[in-house]
Amino acid sequence: MSSPLAGAPLAGLRPVRRRSRRARARRWGVDALGLLVFLVMIFPVYWMVSTAFKPGSDIIANTPVWFPTHPTLSNFSDAIDRPYFWTSVKNSLIVVVSVVVISLVLAFLAALALAKFRFYGRKAFIVLVIAVQMVPLNALIIPIYLVLSKGNQVDKLSGLVITYLTFVLPFTIWTLRGFLLGVPRDLEEAAQVDGSTRFGAFVRILLPLIGPGLVATSIFAFIQAWNEYLMASVLVHSPGNQTLTLWLAGFITDRGTAWGPLMAGATLTALPVVLFFVAIQRRIAFGLTAGAVRG
Amino acid sequence: MKTRIIVAVALAAALAIPASTASGGTTKASASSITVWLMSDAQNGWPTAVANATSQFKAQHPGVDVNIQYQSWDSVLQKFDASIAASDTPDAIELGNSQTAKYMAAGAFQAIKPKNYPNSSTWLAGLKQSCTYGGHTFCVPYYAGARAVIYRKDLYRSVGYKSAPTTYSKFLAIGKKLMKKYGSNSNFSALYEPGQNWYVAMSYVFDYGGQIAVHKGSKWQAVLNTPQAIAGLTAFKKMTLAFSRASKTNDEAHPYPSIPFAKGRAAAFIGNGWEWPYVFNPKGGAAPASFEKKMGAYPMPSHVKGKYLPTFLGGSDIGIPVQSKNKSLAADWVKAFTGTASETLIAKAGNIANSTKLLGVNAKNPALAPFARAAAFSWFVPSAPNWANVESNNPLKPMLTSILTNRASIKSAVTKADSQINKILNAKS
Amino acid sequence: MSSRSPVAAASVAATLPQRRRPLGRRLRSASVPYGLLLPASVVIAAVLAYPLYYLVRLSFQHYGLFQLVRHKGEAIGTANYAAIFHDSVFWHTLLRTVAVTAVCVVLTVVLSTLIALLLAELSSWVRLLLTAGLIFVWATPVVVAISIWSWMIDFEFGVANWTLTKLGVGNFTHHDWLANPWSGWGVIISLIVWGAIPFVAITLYAGLTQVSGELLEAAAIDGASRWRAFRDITLPLLKPIYVIVISLSIIWDFQVFNQVWLITNTTPTPDYFVMAVYSYVTSFKISEYGLGSAIAVVMVGIMALISVFYVRQMVKLGDVE
Repeated sequence: MSSPLAGAPLAGLRPVRRRSRRARARRWGVDALGLLVFLVMIFPVYWMVSTAFKPGSDIIANTPVWFPTHPTLSNFSDAIDRPYFWTSVKNSLIVVVSVVVISLVLAFLAALALAKFRFYGRKAFIVLVIAVQMVPLNALIIPIYLVLSKGNQVDKLSGLVITYLTFVLPFTIWTLRGFLLGVPRDLEEAAQVDGSTRFGAFVRILLPLIGPGLVATSIFAFIQAWNEYLMASVLVHSPGNQTLTLWLAGFITDRGTAWGPLMAGATLTALPVVLFFVAIQRRIAFGLTAGAVRG
Repeated sequence: MKTRIIVAVALAAALAIPASTASGGTTKASASSITVWLMSDAQNGWPTAVANATSQFKAQHPGVDVNIQYQSWDSVLQKFDASIAASDTPDAIELGNSQTAKYMAAGAFQAIKPKNYPNSSTWLAGLKQSCTYGGHTFCVPYYAGARAVIYRKDLYRSVGYKSAPTTYSKFLAIGKKLMKKYGSNSNFSALYEPGQNWYVAMSYVFDYGGQIAVHKGSKWQAVLNTPQAIAGLTAFKKMTLAFSRASKTNDEAHPYPSIPFAKGRAAAFIGNGWEWPYVFNPKGGAAPASFEKKMGAYPMPSHVKGKYLPTFLGGSDIGIPVQSKNKSLAADWVKAFTGTASETLIAKAGNIANSTKLLGVNAKNPALAPFARAAAFSWFVPSAPNWANVESNNPLKPMLTSILTNRASIKSAVTKADSQINKILNAKS
Repeated sequence: MSSRSPVAAASVAATLPQRRRPLGRRLRSASVPYGLLLPASVVIAAVLAYPLYYLVRLSFQHYGLFQLVRHKGEAIGTANYAAIFHDSVFWHTLLRTVAVTAVCVVLTVVLSTLIALLLAELSSWVRLLLTAGLIFVWATPVVVAISIWSWMIDFEFGVANWTLTKLGVGNFTHHDWLANPWSGWGVIISLIVWGAIPFVAITLYAGLTQVSGELLEAAAIDGASRWRAFRDITLPLLKPIYVIVISLSIIWDFQVFNQVWLITNTTPTPDYFVMAVYSYVTSFKISEYGLGSAIAVVMVGIMALISVFYVRQMVKLGDVE
């Protein structure tokens, strides 16, 4: 699979034709190290997934059960059968898709302004965008609740979307600005020669060029919105408006944690993100910093 | 009162009537519905009592929906505060009986007339006290819980004791024998006692004639630094270090002792009535039903013959916030929920009902009867408005840890805790 | 990825004469950037403007539960700030937060750099495996990830204790990881760094893939060691990326809350306070919203001070046009 992840440039250090024994051994050593790092990093996640397949008696056991010897799908069916699972999936999808799409559009426009125009207050706005990310979220819970309550947005998905947009936009604007800066100005001017308006040039030329940037920021927005729970826990009251994270939290109650179904539910929750990412990983890896490195 | 892992566990899926549509209706109370916040304990433990109350209410008010939202102990106060700030409070809310003082002092609840509520003349004294402030009543007692010892009859028998101990010296003797026989397994405890279980530690303090804090004039004064309290803590330390292998830095909810008990790591533990069925709950001990044959319960004996170790009389009350827009409807629901029918169901679920009239409900149940008996000797927290703030970040817990790990002498530990408690209790509110 | 050649387009553009535009069009185009900024600004302002103002205003008030019920605070000037600065808990917490942030950021960046370098050298199947693994870590809901870690270090049934005992490292039965703040923080920092590595490692790796292989080959031919090649060629080229990830890490790690809060079962002792936890406990646990807000404001101020250097770098970034 030829993807930008292939890291072809650095491969040039090794002799390509005849692999000497030393080079092969080195290869295996490096791969072994890679596998070791993989195992260490993935262990907690492995624990989550394997617990999802364990029957209850194997979960809290005097001796840890490393590999589920009696795998069962009952935790998954427990999780899915739990009330509001599909509703939560639907709600999470609605919220996440809205946040991703709207943030991309708004951030692209704002990033355009910050990257391609000179205007009074530009530096101040950039600093503001960065500064907003420094405000600790949990200090703002009550004031945000107040504001949303006045706008009748409490316990509504739209309220959640607006709140998440606020927290996702600064990073998105900032990142897209970085990408846009990496595109030479001459390109737009070349497009304008063709007779398009400046804005047309933006859309036709810049947008495709920063495609990877859009993908990268959309992943960030996706994960933020998909996994957020602090604000959601305060803003959502009705179980019918829960997002998946709130639904998941329901497995952990004052009277104990239903570990099996929780891990099953968590696995199900993480899966879409993983699939989404694996599908577009070609573009993101290359694109995350395409604008920043010039060499 | 009870704390649990995650602050964001705001909503357990409500099994009761969902009142909102998919796009999210607002839960602003209107004449067509009322909103009630109960703890998830009710949802897991006595959903029939809730359903009973709701159907009784709907018979009375056919057009009004009841929107029950279950909360978690960790996040409920935060959400309640947020709702107060936005004037968007529920119409009725359950609070722990050690948290009510703070909200009553702040004027968050509507004053009520007890005589309008069922069984009010026989409300449990301890609970009623937690609903009284400045001579007025601001909430309705809901239920109480007492602690007793849950134990393995078969293990006690294996060291020669066929019946439960009725004196403290016998209790100590049994423990010693158990540790001698099974203690070589480093996981085993004769009595599983988490170090930060301040409820039991304070029970010892009260047993020896001490107290936590007293009201002196206009100020509160913590009195753990007294000979009686120190004597109690000394006895507690001696017992815990001899009999328990539980963590000295965790409290009675991490883990719930039912879990190691179910796995055979403990011969006994001191717990609430609901911790008995928790041994079998898949989220808890997950023990097979046959395990119950080996279980028994008895009130923890006091070091004074003929008495029991005073138990903390925990419990909950239900209040109607002043900002509710449906106070009389809410009152009707609360009357239904705290009436005899629902309270009987609540008691049968392993609790102590709010009225002395119903104390006999569990008398014939060998699992639950000892808990009701244990309630005869009880203690409660100081009725200071700021007491809830003490419990939020409880200095008693690290105090106990430092005592049990020998990082501090009892004297220095209680001195420190006293000054910390004084600071919180006397803070300007 | 577009196949347009920037070079070709640029050379075309270079040959064009510049045109003066009429005043009307100039004015209209002068307002364009503001118009572009407007939608995003409106959204951010709508949700954050009032809360931020409210936060600052609260910090100058005495606002407890009593005031909350009546929706009216008591103005007390800078008394909250004075109380904070005189509280030893505040200073210890601040110091601890700075220390924890520094350790986390350094560990994250160093480990991520190593992993990124490793990624570049792996066979493609191992690379895919490791990348997918990193993504899975990143995608796991935070609440769940912390639960798993909590469970792994559980006093009674945790796999960490069992494994360490079995490996003969010592008797870890019933070892309480949180009893000693040093070991407790070791666990928490590991948890934070573990969660932070995926994003940083993948970002750095992406940057690495753009470092021209030819430059490195040339360096190798010249006899430079790998470390020197990294230090003199790769590092300077990746500087903008490092600036971004380091400043992001500082901002995020300084505000860390969830990991500390959940590992300590929402009841952290002062040994485990970091600024965000301290602010939250003050506001919500003892209902002193004015004081808690003051702590939050101080937090933002300190973060701003710490990141002044990085912020200036970032504003400068790309100002070369």
